Amino acid sequence: MRLPALLLVGALAALAQSPEIEFFERRIRPVLVEQCEGCHSSSLAEPMGGMVVDSRDGLLAGGATGPALVPGDADASLLLKALGYLDPVLKMPPTGKLPDRVIEDFRTWIASGAADPRSEPSEPVGEAASADGPGTPIEEGRRWWAFQPLREQLAPDVSNPEWTQRKVDAFVLARLDANGMQPSPPADPRTLIRRAFLDLTGLPPSFEETEAFAADPSMDAYSDLIDSLLRSPRYGERWGRYWLDVARWAEDHPTSEATNRPFQHAWRYRDWVIEAINKDIPYDRFIRMQFAADLLPGFEPSDMRALGYLGNAPVYHKDRRLSRDVIETIASDDWDERVDAVSRGLLGLTVACARCHDHKFDPITAKDYYALAGVFASTWQVNRPMVALDSERAEWLTWQHEKLYRTKGVFGNLKDLDTVAEELHAEILAMKPEYERLELELSAYEVPMTPAVIDCGVWVDGSTPTVTRMDLRPAQPRDLPVFIRGNVANPGEIVPRRFLSVFERGDPTPFEQGSGRLELADKIVGEAGPLATRVWVNRVWGWHFGRHLVRTPSDFGTQGQDPTHPGLLEDLAARFVTNGSSLKWLHREIMLSATYRQSSRENTAASAADPTNRMLWRMNPRRLDIEAWRDSVLLASGDLNLAGGGPSSEVDSPDVPRRSVYSRISRGRLHPVLQLYDFPVPTQHSPIRQVTTTPLQQLFVLNSGWMQERGRSLAEAVESATDRSDRIRALYRRAYGRNPSTAEVELGLGYLDDRRAEIGREPWDEYAHSLLAANEISFLN
Amino acid sequence: MRLADDRHSTRRQFVSSLCGGFGAVGLSAMLQEQLGAAVSGPIGPHFAPRAKHVIFLFMTGGPSHMDMFDPKPALLTHAGERPESANLRTERMTGGLLPSPFEFQRHGQSGIEVSELLPNLAAVVDDLCVIRSMYTFNPTHTPARNLIHSGNIAATRPSLGAWISYGLGTENRNLPGFVVLSPGARGGDLWRSGFLPAEHQGTHFNHAETDPDRMIRYLRNDKLGAQAQRRQLDLMQALNRGHQEKVGGDAYLDARIRAMETAYRMQFEALDVFDVRKEPESVREEYGETPFANGCLLSRRLVEKGVRYVHVYYGPGQPWDDHIGINKNLRERCPDMDQASAALISDLKRRGLLDETLVIWGGEFGRTPVSEAGDGRDHNPYGFTMWMAGGGVRGGVAYGATDDFGFQAVEKRVSIHDLHATILNQVGFDHERLTYRYAGRDFRLTDVHGTVLRELLA
Repeated sequence: MRLPALLLVGALAALAQSPEIEFFERRIRPVLVEQCEGCHSSSLAEPMGGMVVDSRDGLLAGGATGPALVPGDADASLLLKALGYLDPVLKMPPTGKLPDRVIEDFRTWIASGAADPRSEPSEPVGEAASADGPGTPIEEGRRWWAFQPLREQLAPDVSNPEWTQRKVDAFVLARLDANGMQPSPPADPRTLIRRAFLDLTGLPPSFEETEAFAADPSMDAYSDLIDSLLRSPRYGERWGRYWLDVARWAEDHPTSEATNRPFQHAWRYRDWVIEAINKDIPYDRFIRMQFAADLLPGFEPSDMRALGYLGNAPVYHKDRRLSRDVIETIASDDWDERVDAVSRGLLGLTVACARCHDHKFDPITAKDYYALAGVFASTWQVNRPMVALDSERAEWLTWQHEKLYRTKGVFGNLKDLDTVAEELHAEILAMKPEYERLELELSAYEVPMTPAVIDCGVWVDGSTPTVTRMDLRPAQPRDLPVFIRGNVANPGEIVPRRFLSVFERGDPTPFEQGSGRLELADKIVGEAGPLATRVWVNRVWGWHFGRHLVRTPSDFGTQGQDPTHPGLLEDLAARFVTNGSSLKWLHREIMLSATYRQSSRENTAASAADPTNRMLWRMNPRRLDIEAWRDSVLLASGDLNLAGGGPSSEVDSPDVPRRSVYSRISRGRLHPVLQLYDFPVPTQHSPIRQVTTTPLQQLFVLNSGWMQERGRSLAEAVESATDRSDRIRALYRRAYGRNPSTAEVELGLGYLDDRRAEIGREPWDEYAHSLLAANEISFLN
Repeated sequence: MRLADDRHSTRRQFVSSLCGGFGAVGLSAMLQEQLGAAVSGPIGPHFAPRAKHVIFLFMTGGPSHMDMFDPKPALLTHAGERPESANLRTERMTGGLLPSPFEFQRHGQSGIEVSELLPNLAAVVDDLCVIRSMYTFNPTHTPARNLIHSGNIAATRPSLGAWISYGLGTENRNLPGFVVLSPGARGGDLWRSGFLPAEHQGTHFNHAETDPDRMIRYLRNDKLGAQAQRRQLDLMQALNRGHQEKVGGDAYLDARIRAMETAYRMQFEALDVFDVRKEPESVREEYGETPFANGCLLSRRLVEKGVRYVHVYYGPGQPWDDHIGINKNLRERCPDMDQASAALISDLKRRGLLDETLVIWGGEFGRTPVSEAGDGRDHNPYGFTMWMAGGGVRGGVAYGATDDFGFQAVEKRVSIHDLHATILNQVGFDHERLTYRYAGRDFRLTDVHGTVLRELLA
């Protein structure tokens, strides 16, 4: 390759310079400019590895790994090692080794004294990564409000103690008092029962249930209602789905290549979540099980499903023909996803920000990040048996399944033999009979397997030219180095696996048991328990009210928002723990409050003072999410099949429809109907569901065969009523759980009359479709 | 309708002025907050834009620069040799240098060399700004495609079109701000909105179809005619207004009432805009009749109607991924690409739209000067060609260079981030200031990279 002498500055400068300088200008400078300065220029905000090559001083100072250049001593110069690809990790430029002739030029240049006329001073470049420390120093960070132990609070004095029903009300009323505002009147019983039903079960009450509740004068009617809803299996289907958002659960990967084919039994984790919520497993145990159910006392084989939290996590395709560094980068993206999902999802901390440098705002260091990432670099996704087997047999079965999955994957990846070196052909060709043998062998075992993880260190082996291998070492954990600036080719100090230092007194203790996943879970609900509890209670509050107390539910750090009611959150979280971390207790505490039972009606004066209802002067009106809306429509039309569990079906499948929680969830191809209705793409943790209202949604409502089908079913369901007004009444009862007004009956009759005049018959299916399409069924007051 | 009245019309008009069409349900900041959504609508340009619209003609798979825009005579003199520079790591195993059989000639006043495969583009070369020194970071399709669509190799960030929709909103509330024309629906992740509000995601239409009904999901009601449907919609809206009176005013309810109206109107607007069969025969002949020709023609119709960003995929799958038989494939594939792309430039120019429409052409990477499997070429992320036209970019320019064989961009190297920075600049944004706060920090399309290519601007 001829290096172009194209740099004007260089070329002109060369004219009047010594032969050494001329050599630099002709042979060295163009290479530095073209090959290196993209990442190593002082014009960049953050040159890679803290290294710049656009001045002599920059080269002499070097970067994170030391001086790049020792003038006169080529062999001692790191620059030459990097260019020569002599170091196992420091290989520059990362896009490929430069031609030998160019490297020889550098050797000549350094050996002859590294003449370099560039005196332009570059900014002194500090040490990379951790030199500056995080935006909030660890010591100071320990005092951050969200990290403090939980303490029950005294209920504040309020203007109207009569109004308060539960302790939370005092905090709400005190804040309203302070702002000269008043709570809204209570919602009427019909609104309240619909709210409670949809809130706890994701399904509306029937007309009969509504009327019975409205007619029940007893004081306990509402409390009894909540208890019975909490006992319904429908409850876990609703609240389990909320958890699945936090856990970014899905049944495949963002892409589906040979090495990351879809999960077969991802639904087993979904079913476990629903069961666990129905059983009201205490929150701390609920979390610990999802990291390490297999290591906990009282382990039942079916608990293995809980490990799907990590076992169903997204994995990126690792094309074995790519270089070691690229594969390690992809693997580290996998680990990064876990760090992010766990830290934002469970702790409300943006730990992933510390992948390339210490956190800019929060007390989290890059070392903390790699200490956590190490736990995930020490686990591997496998399918594990969910029935009682002796441990040796279970392990054998697990690894046989793993071998089958991986061999088949790598074969699929490399089967195009033209693309790989000939000496590997035999090995690759042997993979097919191998996995076919495994398939046959394993088909003899009728053991249900479930996606999980197992302790196993993950390394990337680049020792074979042209093919990169995953180097899995069962039971051998891997501590990761700090990848400086997030670059796997630039490893720094190795960090033992451990928890975030801000939660530890003194020096953090390294994890010692296997991968450390159990210890990690113990720390999350232990040392970081107060934070994890605040985060969870805040999420639950948000799902009940449509808005959170801390409106950045996955960021409780310094960049997040303060709670609207700090005392309330504090007190509720503290009492949640003293009440056994029971989610059902928390629902009762929230739903029995006067705050929750307020009307959602607009109040112009209050709205002007507090447009986003931060003071909680009313209940927030809400649009139903796709699950509750779809299930409501199906229930009204009489099509809903309440069979639970098992493999998923498509959300718009023409088969007998089941509840939306049993829809197939894909990361790579999320169903268009789910996309349309703001279902969060489960490639990563999503803190909150957006609520959009778009015309494309309405095209589905107006025109889809699925909706027309529901209209038809609903119309058929009321056919027995011969009187037209009675039939309209029956439709309203099914669709809206109420009787129509006289004007509404008139409206319906008018429509049917008009249509009969046009087409000679009364299209009841069209009319029923209209009822299902209208706002009343999609909104919650 | 008996219950229908217009009592709410003022309120509805207010909301309608805020709630745009489906590309940008452009709610004001306050209303967004009331709705519980995370952010406000379009933020508007930082400075006067040179371009109001962007059309990206995407050549999935990685077209061969040495055979189309970047002549390398040295390939012939060194045919079959394997110079040191061939030892770049690409995806597959490669052989010796493979000369291009296609002749290059100088064209136009600018004298830019273009291959004989592209006679029509050669004829408009004075409108093109040909960048021969593109490079990217990954030799594999998916990561490289993510990078050129979203500035990052992972499949999580918002795509370019989503950023532009987020920044500019839509000009036409009956149509989306970010339209994707792709034959077959694969690749939804490429037009994702990522962490940006969902309304900015690309709306996909299958341009292998010419019938809008088949192009747009649920576009047409197969049971009711327009009039009957209007009647049904009036019934729904009467129900909605009755409900609203009962529960009180609410931004959500207003927004949905509005969205239903837009959906209804869109059925007819889309039926018109998306129907290329409504173009005069002469225009259709100029573009050709292949799916890509439909896509190009459709993209012009859409920007004419105010759509901000149209991303046209040449074909389903990875048509330009010529690992084998590249010369034969190029002979088959180039004619319609060439004809339709050039027709788009000429057509836009004739209508006075080229000045305000930035057209971009290219794939996720280029191909190797060395052969693969005898008569194919492997992926080459180290150097390749893209071109831009219109939208305030200089025409008749050939910018940058690869080395003698076409392996690596060596002169005036242009990264994907530089390209993104330049595109954003043309539509009025400082790429360093177009940010979105997510997961605790501000994100940019260009991350911490990117330099606007000022030399290329008119």
